[in-house]
Amino acid sequence: MFYVFVFIWAFAMLAGITMVWLLAWAIRNGEFTNLRQGARSIFDDLEPEGVVTDYFPGEAPLMKQLERRR
Amino acid sequence: MITRNIGLVLGVFLTISASITGLIIVPNWQFRELQPVKKADGTQYPMPYFGEQLKGRNVYIDQGCIYCHTQQIRMKGYGADIRRNWGTRRSVPRDYIFEKPHQLGTQRTGPDLASIGSRQPSTVWHTLHLYNPQLTSPGSVMPRFVYLFTELKEGEALPAGTFPADLVKIPPQLQKDSVTQLMPTERGKALIEYLKGLNKTFPLPEAAQ
Amino acid sequence: MIAEVGVNPEVEVVSRIEVDRSAEWVVTIYWASSIIWLLIASIAGLISSIKLHSPDFLGSYEWLTFGRIRPVHWDTAIYGFGGTAASGTLLWLQARLCQTRIPFAPLLIAGGVIFNLGVLLGAIGVLSGHSTGVEALEFPLWSMPLLVIPYVFIVIANFKMYFTRRSTHTYVSQWYLMAVTIWFPILILAAEACTNLGAVDGVAQAVANWWYGHNVVGLFATPTAVAAAYYLIPKVIGKPIHSYHLSLLGFWSNAIFYNWAGTHHLTGGPLPAWTITVGVVGSMMMFIPVITIGINHHMTMVGSFHHLKTSPTLRFAVMGSMIYTLASFQGSLESLRSHQEITHFTHYTIGHVHFGMYGFFAPLMFAMMYYAMPRLTGNEWSSARLIRIHFWCTLLGTLLYASAMCYAGIRQGFMMNDPTIPFLNIVSFTKPFLMLRTLAGLILLSGTIAFTINFWRIVQPHKLRFVTPTLLNTKRDYRILVEKEKELGT
Repeated sequence: MFYVFVFIWAFAMLAGITMVWLLAWAIRNGEFTNLRQGARSIFDDLEPEGVVTDYFPGEAPLMKQLERRR
Repeated sequence: MITRNIGLVLGVFLTISASITGLIIVPNWQFRELQPVKKADGTQYPMPYFGEQLKGRNVYIDQGCIYCHTQQIRMKGYGADIRRNWGTRRSVPRDYIFEKPHQLGTQRTGPDLASIGSRQPSTVWHTLHLYNPQLTSPGSVMPRFVYLFTELKEGEALPAGTFPADLVKIPPQLQKDSVTQLMPTERGKALIEYLKGLNKTFPLPEAAQ
Repeated sequence: MIAEVGVNPEVEVVSRIEVDRSAEWVVTIYWASSIIWLLIASIAGLISSIKLHSPDFLGSYEWLTFGRIRPVHWDTAIYGFGGTAASGTLLWLQARLCQTRIPFAPLLIAGGVIFNLGVLLGAIGVLSGHSTGVEALEFPLWSMPLLVIPYVFIVIANFKMYFTRRSTHTYVSQWYLMAVTIWFPILILAAEACTNLGAVDGVAQAVANWWYGHNVVGLFATPTAVAAAYYLIPKVIGKPIHSYHLSLLGFWSNAIFYNWAGTHHLTGGPLPAWTITVGVVGSMMMFIPVITIGINHHMTMVGSFHHLKTSPTLRFAVMGSMIYTLASFQGSLESLRSHQEITHFTHYTIGHVHFGMYGFFAPLMFAMMYYAMPRLTGNEWSSARLIRIHFWCTLLGTLLYASAMCYAGIRQGFMMNDPTIPFLNIVSFTKPFLMLRTLAGLILLSGTIAFTINFWRIVQPHKLRFVTPTLLNTKRDYRILVEKEKELGT
């Protein structure tokens, strides 16, 4: 039973140190700079910010306009 | 490119190794040393399953009894398991050292079965209950395990390879369609033996009464 | 021109359309499989539900006995529906975010076929009496490699896409997708080793069993669905995620705490107190990622809720995200010992599971399919009405299911803790609620059928003529749309 505790503590120490090292690595690697840009990465000039990209079939506003003109 | 975002991969791997260590490795170590306790009559508790009871346990598993029945008694004061006479003491890890796989269960659509053997020692009761639960427990939603028994009418010959001692008479007021007797199949007999053997009332040192 | 994050210049530019074209067959096959399995799982679920209040329904055949059809429902729902839907989502989303084509398409398609075969054989195995007896892992051992090997192909494809991506930035959804591919193989191998391969015995096996059972939800279903929400919500409304910092917190707290919550399935059981406490702590700490993700999605949506009227994807995605928050709060509270004293072993648990799976996971998978299928096939969804039916059936069916089962469970729990109430009285009390559950199941199935019809039509090779396409595939169309919308002042 004693060895179980030794193992738990050893593992926890190892895990804790690794996690702190990982955090330091992430900061050094620049993972935390420019976070806001990351959120924008899903947009491009084909589907830019501000454009809605999903509608019920037949209900996109541009198409409704075209429909009316037909 | 591999070196980028190695942090993500490593971190993710670490989270799951931590829980494997904590929830799988450590408990296994803790319980691996558990041994059965010697009883006064020379036998031990708990006993590993073998023979008819083992076969019956496998029937319990393939019929999926676990989805409505549990096999664990909660401690006094937490729930009413003991007050309902489902057991005389709470269940402890030592009760389950020979359970492969465990059948602890997570649903009580039906009552707990940890000590059903001490609560219902009668073969006749188990036969009638499994064949048609309405006979012993009207309003029950348990399925009928008709296929674990051969229905016999009055005077009908016994199936080959069976013994008259295993025959169960249905009480006259519960008979239907002139089926008067039931002969359990091999699987039915094994299941009933298994159920009769379920008994976790033996007092263990770690389970305060 | 991509937004100003770094790019790897040695990686070729692949247009979005080429990405979608490469994904067409693979993802469609996975998602078509998922719908078929959802139908099968729903029927198995309905049969189980009816048998629970009317046990003589469909007679007393061994192949249909409750104890076999119920695990088949569960396993076809999780592995059949969940496994294929999540895999399709993972592949398409990763391809889109990495801006690469899906690699090894023939291998992945073969994998999909093998996976389906595995689920089918596993289900037949359980129905014919070869269940392993371990909840969530009932499929006979010999059928499991058929599920694991295709997943290995997916892991390889995922890693290839990720490590050869063009953008140096990793979008938040990608963290979740990478995590899923690392967690799931480890989960299933460790779980099978501990249960059906006998590495662990007795109650330690029970702990391993529920470590696995809960982690299928927490480390496979949840991250995939959250990844979908993080992409779909901002993409549909055209606004970036509110707070990227919060997403980091949400991801890591999820990763750390969800792992430990599994033992809350064993509260009160024959286990040392520490194992249960650890599960309660893990479950309660889940408030952190759930609130974080909830704030993020909500704040992203603020000012854009009117789009729910016009976008099917958004409806399902927002429904999923909101119920994610609610079901998770419910789950965290449910783990507390005082709560469990009442609700453990009752229908409440079942209510919670379906609230989460059909209120959160399934809608986000549907959202993904509604968004991606037009882009994969170049076709349009044929009927807005069927989409609306699907949505309302999903929402109302889930709410009915959860409220009926949770209420019944609480009452059931109180009655069970009162030893003066005979057990059979408790059973008769729950019967009307079990019938409500069957009704809820029928509503959910109706929604699924509506979706199946739409899906069947959209995969037809351009047979249907559309009057007004939603989908604009060329740069020119999008420019016109943006200009027109500016003109019209929308």
